[in-house]
Amino acid sequence: MRETWVAGAAMNRFGKMAETGREAGARVALEALDRAGVEPKRLGLTIVSNAFGIAEHQAHVGPLLNTALGIPEVPSFTVESACSSSSAALHEAFVHVAGGFSEAVLVVGFEKLSHLDTLAATSYFATGADYTFESQNGATFPGLYATIANAHSQKYGTTPEQLGAVAVKNHANGARNPHAHFQKEISLATYLASPMVASPLRLYDCCPFSDGAAAVVVVAREALPRPAAEPLVIRASARAGDIGDIHDRESLTSLSATRRAADAAFQRAGIERREVQFLEVHDCFTIAEIVALEDLGFFPAGAAAKAGADGTTARDGRLPVNPSGGLKAKGHPVSASGAAQVVEVFEQMNALAGTRQVPHAEVALTHNVGATGSSCSVHLFSRR
Amino acid sequence: MNEETAPAVHSIAAYVHGYAEEKRLLGFRSGCGFVSATWGLLCPRCGKRDLKEVTLSGRGRVAALTVQTVPAEEFVNDAPYAYVVVELEEGGRITGWIPGVRGPEELFIGAAVAWVSSYRPGLQFELRSSSPEDAG
Ligand SMILES: CC(C)(COP(=O)(O)OP(=O)(O)OC[C@H]1O[C@@H](n2cnc3c(N)ncnc32)[C@H](O)[C@@H]1OP(=O)(O)O)[C@@H](O)C(=O)NCCC(=O)NCCS
Ligand SMILES: [Zn+2]
Repeated sequence: MRETWVAGAAMNRFGKMAETGREAGARVALEALDRAGVEPKRLGLTIVSNAFGIAEHQAHVGPLLNTALGIPEVPSFTVESACSSSSAALHEAFVHVAGGFSEAVLVVGFEKLSHLDTLAATSYFATGADYTFESQNGATFPGLYATIANAHSQKYGTTPEQLGAVAVKNHANGARNPHAHFQKEISLATYLASPMVASPLRLYDCCPFSDGAAAVVVVAREALPRPAAEPLVIRASARAGDIGDIHDRESLTSLSATRRAADAAFQRAGIERREVQFLEVHDCFTIAEIVALEDLGFFPAGAAAKAGADGTTARDGRLPVNPSGGLKAKGHPVSASGAAQVVEVFEQMNALAGTRQVPHAEVALTHNVGATGSSCSVHLFSRR
Repeated sequence: MNEETAPAVHSIAAYVHGYAEEKRLLGFRSGCGFVSATWGLLCPRCGKRDLKEVTLSGRGRVAALTVQTVPAEEFVNDAPYAYVVVELEEGGRITGWIPGVRGPEELFIGAAVAWVSSYRPGLQFELRSSSPEDAG
């Protein structure tokens, strides 16, 4: 395997887009390519993620994107893995480049859903769960994660205030991120006063429905002698799967796909957990950040809930988690989220993160979950 | 087809027909002991083929719960309602909804519940114990 980099990465402001997903995808792709100093003509492949493209009556969007970028001859395909779609696409790009099949691969993830109302969007999202054995029995996505939160609090005593601390922290980070859907701080009191969505999860426990686009340019080191920006070395790209339905899994309080992807990534990278300086983890709901930190091996089971409240995971804490604001505040345009995590790592490692810059940005981890944990990607990055 | 390669158990259509029309909840028990209603050909826990079709009791205890204020689209006229993960008497878990539950204080982990037939697709449960004390 040859050394493989993220040479450029870019995203738009998440929230509500006035343009189509395909326009936004092409714009962030060009920005990522420009940041990398790579001309579109040099791409060997484009991998697109757009899980809910059907909401825009559009499938097979790769060729449209390549046409817009002036490279209709370049092959493309779509990778769908629910909320982990674009990190799965990044994994495929890594495989192509590290394996020597391409010199440069473009990964683009985007989603436009804001024209749907709450119920329709909730129904679209529920298709990522098991329709017959979960959704048809009444579950929504917030509801499924709510059962994890309920079981976690029964087992470990996780409190509403501890869930709230994750929301408060991530909103504080999002307030400093010009890409974020929500750029406002919230207090614990605001959190506790927000309406229930699926007990114990309140409005401020949930990521929002967001539109957005993010792109990552993956290149072989030898193909880019003079990178235009500080590249991220992909030290490991690992994926794992699990039983689709939460209730059929052995544990209701832990995602084994996260554990297995993380173990594989650390082993391949030859990096220790204590070397990781900041993380972007999948916090589609506050409980998901807590469970992720336990499953990734940074805290023992039941011990991560304290980390938000005591400042450990704050931007200036011992282990900054989701300096971007996470899915909670930055927003969660499903297929853009995995790539957007990498944009945050790119901006942090290139000292482009402005007032949300973390103190040390040489080694970072991204963690992206599909659905309720049936798919998971873990990537480890370091500076050269 | 021999025993080893015969597709396990019933179809999804038979499962749905079973609970909706025959008051019968179809599931499987794997050689490793894993019990589930979720359709499959091989056991997702041990990867083996020895699944036996079983009729599930539909009776058990709440293992995890949520009360959803924002409903799934098909449940728009039923919100709020509970969505529960149920640990069956015979082992294994299934999920379903309980109408008329307005808040998490009306339900608890360990509550006895039973599957009941419903006017709509999906598994519906009925609460059998009203407080943690009489749940035993
Ligand atoms: C929580 C949820 C039900 C809210 O629904 P919604 O349709 O976005 O809510 P509304 O449009 O009625 O928004 C009401 C207000 O709350 C704000 N808001 C919406 N979602 C929010 C969130 N998650 N966090 C904070 N504020 C939120 C809106 O901006 C709006 O504010 P305004 O009145 O000042 O404009 C919805 O965001 C949701 O289901 N999120 C989870 C999405 C999901 O499951 N993703 C997959 C995860 S793997
Ligand atoms: Zn088995």
